[in-house]
Amino acid sequence: MDLMIDVQGLRKAYGDGDLILKDVSVKFAPGEFVTILGLSGAGKSTFLRCLNRLIEPTGGSLMVPRGVLDGSGSTERVDMTKASSRDLRLWRRRVGMIFQQFNLVKRMSVLDNVLSGTLGEANLLASIFRSFPKAERERALHNLERVGLLDQAYQRADTLSGGQQQRVAIARALMQRPKVILADEPVASLDPKLSVQVLDTLKRVAEEDGITVLVSLHVLDLAKTYGDRIIGFQGGRIVFDGKPEALSDNEVERIYFREGYEHAPATPRTIATV
Amino acid sequence: MLQQPPEPSQPSESQAMQPESQAERKVPMSEPQSPESRAFPQPPRQGWKGWAIGLLLAFILGWSFAGVQFDFKELIHGAPQMADMFKRSIPPDVTTLTDPERYSVPEELGLKELILPVPLGGELSELKERWWRNTFPNTVLGATIQTIQMALAGTFIATLIAFPIGFLAARNTSPSPILYHAIKLTVNFLRTIPDFAAGLILIAAIGLGPFAGTLALAFHTTTVLVKLFSEAIENIDPGVVEAVTATGARYPQVVSFAVVPQVIPDFISFVLYRFETNIRAATVLGLIGAGGIGLIMNSDFRMFQYPQAAMSVIVLIVLVMLVDYLSARLRRLVI
Repeated sequence: MDLMIDVQGLRKAYGDGDLILKDVSVKFAPGEFVTILGLSGAGKSTFLRCLNRLIEPTGGSLMVPRGVLDGSGSTERVDMTKASSRDLRLWRRRVGMIFQQFNLVKRMSVLDNVLSGTLGEANLLASIFRSFPKAERERALHNLERVGLLDQAYQRADTLSGGQQQRVAIARALMQRPKVILADEPVASLDPKLSVQVLDTLKRVAEEDGITVLVSLHVLDLAKTYGDRIIGFQGGRIVFDGKPEALSDNEVERIYFREGYEHAPATPRTIATV
Repeated sequence: MLQQPPEPSQPSESQAMQPESQAERKVPMSEPQSPESRAFPQPPRQGWKGWAIGLLLAFILGWSFAGVQFDFKELIHGAPQMADMFKRSIPPDVTTLTDPERYSVPEELGLKELILPVPLGGELSELKERWWRNTFPNTVLGATIQTIQMALAGTFIATLIAFPIGFLAARNTSPSPILYHAIKLTVNFLRTIPDFAAGLILIAAIGLGPFAGTLALAFHTTTVLVKLFSEAIENIDPGVVEAVTATGARYPQVVSFAVVPQVIPDFISFVLYRFETNIRAATVLGLIGAGGIGLIMNSDFRMFQYPQAAMSVIVLIVLVMLVDYLSARLRRLVI
């Protein structure tokens, strides 16, 4: 199997030594669309942020192909947990990230927000003064067209609705020509209709560009509908990893099991309203 | 202290203290009961702490009033003198502002030659230069303009210096914790030097005049702006910084894209506010000889020319009000 990310024994401890990630091992193939399920605090966000080292893992390894970093065909593996800061930056360029709160620069135009996706490769001095080559500006407009927001390019980002802002964030990620997109609860602040719109957009562009996507969600039905593969986190461990069809009610109970509760809280099926 | 209503039956308190999840489950069961009989959680009691703080405050205030030798009797004794001074300054001498004589424009120069940059012969241009440098700033109008110029120049220099330092003095954008602490400590120390103290030092070093005053303003304003800027930077939304960092951006790019757009409105507001303050500060600096309207006011008072001094005070009041109004308008424009 072709490999994009190979995670082995990933651990993350916070302050007092509590492990939020306990020995996570998992592999991702190019072009996979993976949805990640789990309760708040199960370690989904931490896991995603360890993959581009916005959070430093405490232990374990994170192997990625050298070819992704330098554009060569090399299949030699590099361990991102031990990578140089240069290699880390090369990796981050190829990993787009999408957040629950969109994290756009509100006072900047939509186009400038999208262009900020090219910062990893842009000329340092020119980019500081918001000056980008014409080709990049055109690529940004093209990516805005792909997410259906070309008409809003010159508006300020905070004039857009939540669903539109999240699609701008997708366009920003696309500017990185990403091999991987990490999406941390991208639709948790959106209503069901907009959620579907955003996930449809994400799935479509990912298929077009062959991007590996890891999306954490807390709505079971969305995870089943969009995921080629579902991963369930519980208490810092992966307790399920398989096709959506293989996710039985029993498995769901295990994912949503929380210590201290006699039963799982209301089954997620009733929370899901889509 | 607000008296709290007596708590309902004591034993029910333990029920209210139970964890949220269990309390929630019990609600439906107790629904048939009337709401009054249920124990809702009460706000925590303040008790003696509030009284103690009040008492301490009263003591400190009493001690302060004693320390400043606060005495109503003296105030009443001084009242006739104040009234006398006030009477003698009325009516204010408007001619200091309006009378062309006061401006003592050299006869050789017309108004056009004086104001417009027209080519003049050697002697004439020297005359013009001397009038602008020495005569005009000693009129009420000229001194007022000089005060504004001092505030503008001083605030500008301070903004230029404080802008980059602000990023080094903010915890979340400083490249190293050592640098952060070193700068914070230095700036906090320098800020304790009031602007008129800096003015006295600078006047001793480079002589009387508006240049020393401007530098004093710039110095003090820099230390204040660094504090205000760095605090604004520390309050930004960290999510945007995370998002821009995640694209592989380098430090200056993260600052330019994720930090600057978030803090610019605050920065502009702070600079305008400091400009207002500096108009007043520039006047005080004038009193110690650093040019501007303060200098004129001081010499008028010393020579007991109360009507003239009163006119300067009126001009100053109008100026301050105008600047406050304009900067409020400007601030609303950018935010």
